[in-house]
Amino acid sequence: MFHKSALASLAAVATISIAMPLAAAQKNGAIAQDFKLTDMYGKTVQLSDFRGKTVVMEWHNPGCPFVVKHYDSGNMQATQAAARKQDVVWLTINSGAKGKQGHMNGPEAQKLVKQQDMSASHYLLDAKGIVGKAYAAKTTPHMYIVDGSGKLVYQGGIDNKPTANKADIKGARNHVTAALNELKAGKQISVAQSRPYGCSVKYAS
Amino acid sequence: MTSNSSLPTIWSAQNIRTALQTFFVAIFFAALLSISPARAQIGPDKRELNVVATLVAESQQVQAGQSVTLAFVMTPKPTWHGYWENPGDAGIGMSFDWNLPDGVTAGKAQYPVPDTLLISGIMNYIYKGDYAVLVNLVVSERVKPGPLPISVKSEWLACTDEVCVPERDELSINLQVVGPDAAVSLNNAFNDYREALPRQLGSAATFMVKDDLFRLSIPFPENIDVESPYFFIKEDGIVDYAAPQKVNRDGDRLIIETAARGDELQNISGVLKIGPKMGLSLKASAGDVEMSGVPIGGGSSGNFIGGGDQSSASLLFIALGGAIVGGLLLNLMPCVFPILSLKAISLAKAGGEEGIVRRDALAYTAGVVVVATALGALLLALRASGAAVGWAFQLQDPRIIFVLLALVTAIGLNLAGLFELPNINIGNKLADKDGPAGSFWTGALAAFVATPCTGPFMAAALGATIVLPPIAALIIFAGLGVGLALPFLLIAFVPAIRDRLPKPGAWLDSFRKAMAIPMFLTSIGLIWLLGRQIGEDGLALSLIFLLLVALILWWFGGGQIKGLSRGMVTTGALIAAVMGGIMFLPDEEAMETQRAATASAATLPSEPFSEARLSELRAANQPVFAYFTADWCITCKANEAAAVQRQETADAFAAANVAVLMGDWTRPDPAISKFLEKHGRAGVPLYLYYAPGEEPVILPQILTVGTLTDLVT
Repeated sequence: MFHKSALASLAAVATISIAMPLAAAQKNGAIAQDFKLTDMYGKTVQLSDFRGKTVVMEWHNPGCPFVVKHYDSGNMQATQAAARKQDVVWLTINSGAKGKQGHMNGPEAQKLVKQQDMSASHYLLDAKGIVGKAYAAKTTPHMYIVDGSGKLVYQGGIDNKPTANKADIKGARNHVTAALNELKAGKQISVAQSRPYGCSVKYAS
Repeated sequence: MTSNSSLPTIWSAQNIRTALQTFFVAIFFAALLSISPARAQIGPDKRELNVVATLVAESQQVQAGQSVTLAFVMTPKPTWHGYWENPGDAGIGMSFDWNLPDGVTAGKAQYPVPDTLLISGIMNYIYKGDYAVLVNLVVSERVKPGPLPISVKSEWLACTDEVCVPERDELSINLQVVGPDAAVSLNNAFNDYREALPRQLGSAATFMVKDDLFRLSIPFPENIDVESPYFFIKEDGIVDYAAPQKVNRDGDRLIIETAARGDELQNISGVLKIGPKMGLSLKASAGDVEMSGVPIGGGSSGNFIGGGDQSSASLLFIALGGAIVGGLLLNLMPCVFPILSLKAISLAKAGGEEGIVRRDALAYTAGVVVVATALGALLLALRASGAAVGWAFQLQDPRIIFVLLALVTAIGLNLAGLFELPNINIGNKLADKDGPAGSFWTGALAAFVATPCTGPFMAAALGATIVLPPIAALIIFAGLGVGLALPFLLIAFVPAIRDRLPKPGAWLDSFRKAMAIPMFLTSIGLIWLLGRQIGEDGLALSLIFLLLVALILWWFGGGQIKGLSRGMVTTGALIAAVMGGIMFLPDEEAMETQRAATASAATLPSEPFSEARLSELRAANQPVFAYFTADWCITCKANEAAAVQRQETADAFAAANVAVLMGDWTRPDPAISKFLEKHGRAGVPLYLYYAPGEEPVILPQILTVGTLTDLVT
């Protein structure tokens, strides 16, 4: 029974994203579109399974210099670890199409996660770009936060310094950390939407 | 570590490793240096850039109190591109971190008109080829003469369709502050850089965000062509970049509709691209915008939703209907009616011979349709080649008017009975024994003469030819011809109508002579038109030739009465007279001057603007009113109608001996761009008044007659 509804929602995602690619951008305050993806171990992960917990989604492409900025400096790992400590679920999603920059298969992702000491809860593979397009993820990184009730509460960049320069991390406002703290304190999220920056997501056309 | 044994034993293993590493690193760098010295020069942490930036100054010398323009000349490698200030969905604009000497300030970067690049639904606003970003540096009065070192750390994003590389460079340039009298030489390349910048639209636009739709209404003159317009918004988060933009044209407005994204702002800005290299920069404030008017067909770029086959087809039908009705109405125009009535009479003369009547009517129709379509094709071809032409464009060429004038006058003289045409197969063969060839040429003549008489119905139809594909446009031109020929087709194919036509008789001769009157009226109209184009002197000469033509025809007619054949001599003399007349018409340049003079002669005459002429007038202590305008600038046109081109203004200026200089910025003109920039304007209108020996006054952008007359009273 449950399986059936999951399939249906995945089908819905596929239909929406195929019918109107990128037009179905998710709106803050609305229930975040449910999806189901396989992780780097081949296990299926479904967004709605995490109801009750805050979920962060991070669009990832290891070949993108802007992603490199945040991983080489350890900034993204630190943000992930801090979030995990608050019992937040962190989903790193790779929507890079096969043959394009940054595309990963399961074993490659496992190696990368270990190498870079990533603290994501799950590394999810979205080579067809269905979930990426449903969320209108445009850049890597592109960040989304879904609250415990399943509502989308933040979308945009990781911080407010749109550069590939590691030196700019210091002094930047980390929008995700700030939003998670505000969420935890029961406050209104002060920056609920920002401009994502980075490389374009390498979707299959 | 095979060389370990040959090394002295006092070296610890650690030491050996370090020494070897140092050695290999040294060799590596030495090799690098010898292979690519250029690379070594820029330092080890700089890679070879994919979009190379070069900093260039418009002039090495700058005077205190003046400004100098710098250009970041960006040269992307093949397949690479750089980004506009708003990069779109992904990507990043350029940043500048200036290191400037005291007293020097850098202005805002000015970007050329960008292109769109849509990759898997992600919209990028980019530059594929070389481009230049301009920045003005202002050097304050207090900066002392001497070297002026400028350096800037700049970052930008270089991308291909597949990968992106953030790039940065520290660029520097050494300028020289010189005294106020020193010569300053300018780099001409900056003319091209400026041409690529969007030009400022004088009037403000209005936008609305409602129900997930973004609508923008831009004042834009009806008569200016646009090719697949696209609006590049500067502010992020307002529109969905990747969504198609629908563009409608409603009179003097362009309305753009696309998907909205969110946050509402009170003011936005952006660049409206209206041609491959042409854009207008504009500001818009929030207000109500309705989607009215007619859609502009989407281009080949794929970013636009076209009108769709349905609406395109219905537009074609409406336009075709308009063209046929318009063509029908043309039959009543003074220039066509005489040709027509005689044609009708000649059909009537054919009496009951059904076959001949029909054959002639069809030949006539063919003549009309062929000429109308050919003129249309020529019009489309000229339009495609970039010339701004409208219907009746042939009347913009005085040579054609001249020939038409000779022809119409000759027809008039013929109708008046001065001479009879023998049976030769040229245009106005209206007499006996009218063959199908004669009918064809009569039709051709009617269509050619009819074009200046564009009626109200045709305006809409011909307007439609601009938005329709060429084949559809040609169908409309053909429809115009069919309309023009329709009465004859009806006469020929509906015997009932033919039966009602009066039978030929003695009255016909009087009628024919009466028909000479509208023909001569048409001549007068053409003479007036010719006079406006070539001026009084040229016109006087033309009229002498016209008189010559009339005399030749008179002499020919006299011969006919006496039964003499003077056909050959007459034809030769006529051709010689017309050719001579054309040769004596003023040349292009003289006409250009005349056109400029007549354009403003009505009210306030002006000279074309140039800085040289301005300083000349200033040196002569003459007051100068300089204004800058463009055909696409509505504010400019409104000001000209309301204040500049007014008798009161002209009288006041004439009384005060004010010289008027007019800068036309319709087409890119770097000299004018630069002058506008110097006055802190990136756009038109600009109105300046130079009182003798005083600093210029910049007048408000909305002028009244009072503002102008007060200047000189």
